Amino acid sequence: MKRLFSIGTALTLFAGTAFGAGYQLNLQGLRQLGMGGSGTAWPWDASTIFYNPGGLARLDGIQASVSGLMIIPTVQFAQASTGNVYTTQSQQFYPFNVYVGGPVMKGSKLAVGVGVYTPFGSGLTWDNNWAGKYFIQSIYLQSIFIQPTASYRINDIVSVGAGFIYAFGNLEVKQAIPVSNENGVDGQADLKGNANGTGYNLGVQLKASDKLQFGLTYRSQVNMKVKSGNANFNVPSSVASSFPNTNFTSQLPLPQVASVGVGYKPIKKLTLQLDINFIGWSAYDSLKFDFSKQTAELKNQHAPRLYQNTVAFRLGGNYDFSKKFSAMAGAAYDPTPVHDGFVSPELPDADRIVLTCGVAYSPIRKLTVMAALEYTTTAKRNSIYNDGNLSLDGQYQTKALTPGLGINYNF
Amino acid sequence: MKKIYSVGLLVCLLAACKPDLKTSAPKPGNADFSVYLAVGNSLTAGYADNSLYLTGQQNSYPLRLSEQFKLVGGGAFKQPLLMSDVGLPSQKLILGLSTSCLGVTSLSPIPDPQPVNWADTASIAAQGPFNNVGVPGIRCIDYIVPGYALLAKAGGIPYASRFFANPAARPLDEALRIKATFFTCWLGSNDVLLYATDGGQGNDPGTNVKPYADISAPAFFDAAYNIVIDSLTSNGAKGALMNIPDVTAIPFFTTVPINALVLRKGQADSLNAAYQGLNGIRFAAGANNFVVQDHNGVPKQIQQGEYILLTVPQDSLTCAGWGSLKPIPSQYVLTSEEVANVKAATLAYNTTIQTTATNHNLAYIDMNSYLKTLTAGITFDGAAYNATFVTGGAFSLDGVHLTPRGYALAANFIIQGINAKYSSTIPAVDANKYSGVKFP
Repeated sequence: MKRLFSIGTALTLFAGTAFGAGYQLNLQGLRQLGMGGSGTAWPWDASTIFYNPGGLARLDGIQASVSGLMIIPTVQFAQASTGNVYTTQSQQFYPFNVYVGGPVMKGSKLAVGVGVYTPFGSGLTWDNNWAGKYFIQSIYLQSIFIQPTASYRINDIVSVGAGFIYAFGNLEVKQAIPVSNENGVDGQADLKGNANGTGYNLGVQLKASDKLQFGLTYRSQVNMKVKSGNANFNVPSSVASSFPNTNFTSQLPLPQVASVGVGYKPIKKLTLQLDINFIGWSAYDSLKFDFSKQTAELKNQHAPRLYQNTVAFRLGGNYDFSKKFSAMAGAAYDPTPVHDGFVSPELPDADRIVLTCGVAYSPIRKLTVMAALEYTTTAKRNSIYNDGNLSLDGQYQTKALTPGLGINYNF
Repeated sequence: MKKIYSVGLLVCLLAACKPDLKTSAPKPGNADFSVYLAVGNSLTAGYADNSLYLTGQQNSYPLRLSEQFKLVGGGAFKQPLLMSDVGLPSQKLILGLSTSCLGVTSLSPIPDPQPVNWADTASIAAQGPFNNVGVPGIRCIDYIVPGYALLAKAGGIPYASRFFANPAARPLDEALRIKATFFTCWLGSNDVLLYATDGGQGNDPGTNVKPYADISAPAFFDAAYNIVIDSLTSNGAKGALMNIPDVTAIPFFTTVPINALVLRKGQADSLNAAYQGLNGIRFAAGANNFVVQDHNGVPKQIQQGEYILLTVPQDSLTCAGWGSLKPIPSQYVLTSEEVANVKAATLAYNTTIQTTATNHNLAYIDMNSYLKTLTAGITFDGAAYNATFVTGGAFSLDGVHLTPRGYALAANFIIQGINAKYSSTIPAVDANKYSGVKFP
């Protein structure tokens, strides 16, 4: 009789949820960032390709808008049972945006443009031996959207726009496997993959008057498909056959977003705007990882997510101190799509409060230089991850500081 | 001045970017954890993988408890550490490749190939007194026997003699050298476990350990246990009493299947012809229950609720006809009568432990229930634990003692009981920080 060993502890992957609210970056234009991320109603510059494609035909010429940002996210977890507090390692990520577009000729009703921007992306690195290591050790993801766009000014009030989105990106997730090697160190799963998907961005911009403008946009869901990711397992050689290096497929829905916005100038120097985003997170009902090679320990993963749709509010203002100098300020409330019991450490999400500010300076008429800062904080959220057993009971909090610099040039 | 102000503002801003979660400070409640004493047997000593070795001791549940007690005023915790990581007096088991009689090589528990360091048998009593006085192999009834350490040493068990200040005294006297303000006591397993791991060869009741261990008489157990707890509490110390697990749920008894005798029709026919229906022994094509010796050496077919021990020689089952032509010898089998003896003794001892806890107003820790939960399977922060041999995570390679992780889980359960009894808020241990069975 031969003793056959199998690893009782199967791998449970929770990765990929990283494409959740915590990683949705509302950083697609610096002027808008300074105003709490609002920008559906008012076509400030070429970044309206993202905020409202219908606004592109409102620009008074071809513009180029470029910005770069740095996100410094920190997540902390205080475990109730042990009293231990874990903080993610300090890391920086660099989202960017490039937009070029405007009316094809001076006075033309037709405008075209293209935007390249990074609406989802970030990362977290926990200590390799932290309490949630079997859920996640580190996660990193990046996505780049390319959006060619056309916009048409129907009349002095109504203009419309549409853009096609091609999205690509990559993700990497590391997770400990509860199999100790001879030194007592856990195994590790490392999943890497490239993903891509397509979608579209539609917008209607209404210029009711010089003082009052409205915007209505719809960005479609983008299904980011990982067709052939690489799953590598670092485990003791005696159990390597239980965790064969293999390919995996997955699909991560980036949610549809419908927005309504209003912009109003109570006085000449001041613009106030409000956006309401209806975010279709419920598309994210489960997370699936399918491996091409499977074993008793390495099985396809179908983890329920059951996100709920959310409504976010963004409010901001821009004040022109002079023709050359203006300042922005804003705030946003971005509620979490994650239900209680599904708060897990790769996406310790909670209702977000965002405070922003910014300045814009035009040394010459055609050029504007902008700087903006976003501060994001979440409420302290108590959670037990409920996977049938109660695990990782504790409290999470996320904070992030995001400074950015950008320029806009009006040709 | 303005410059300093703006630097201050920047620092403020950066500080606001870091979350600052805090957990409430642990409180000792109405117990005094300043001097902690751990009384017990191999489980308390940190014994694992069929031996006592340094890494095992460094992962003992008393050490884990002492680390948590330090958060509520606990002091230094001294253990009688070995120098060697190989094991004393025999090598610990490790996972390695071994080749069966059929020439099949597979991963199995094998003895650590390194030599035993016999210098570890020398007395380190001068370093004492020790806070962990766990002695592998010791029974509750041994705890009040003067000279136990010398008797054990003569029998080849050097654990007590190597650290007792006075080997001629009672083990209880060694425990009392530390003026404990808080103690845990996990005595009693060996009063029944040694009988069970000897396949029930000993007597019930009795006091022998050689050649086969007996079950301690419950009345004797009760008397000894009360003397121990009376003494430990005589200076007002508070503590926790752990009861003893039902050993038949542990991998040592549940790993070898009773029906792994797979026969073809011809083999079954010839075995039937050989046994001629003796004691109802009957074989058929397919899986059959093994043939074993009962308590009196009479062949019978093993039944549900009876156990074949983990120590049964695998090659004898595979190649020497054990379990079919030759009944598996009685010392590798726990029959239903023997199981009943084990369960009756366990129940009696646990009644004593619970009554004593009540009488002395001490925390009663139902380890028996906890180990049942553990064997059924639990999840701790994403890692699954159960009683499967080797891969279950909590039990070490001897199928009786725990892994560093298993001991940390045990510590957590004890902490829960202490917190409930003494209104303390001692935090749990992050058990997943410690290793399970180590794979090559």
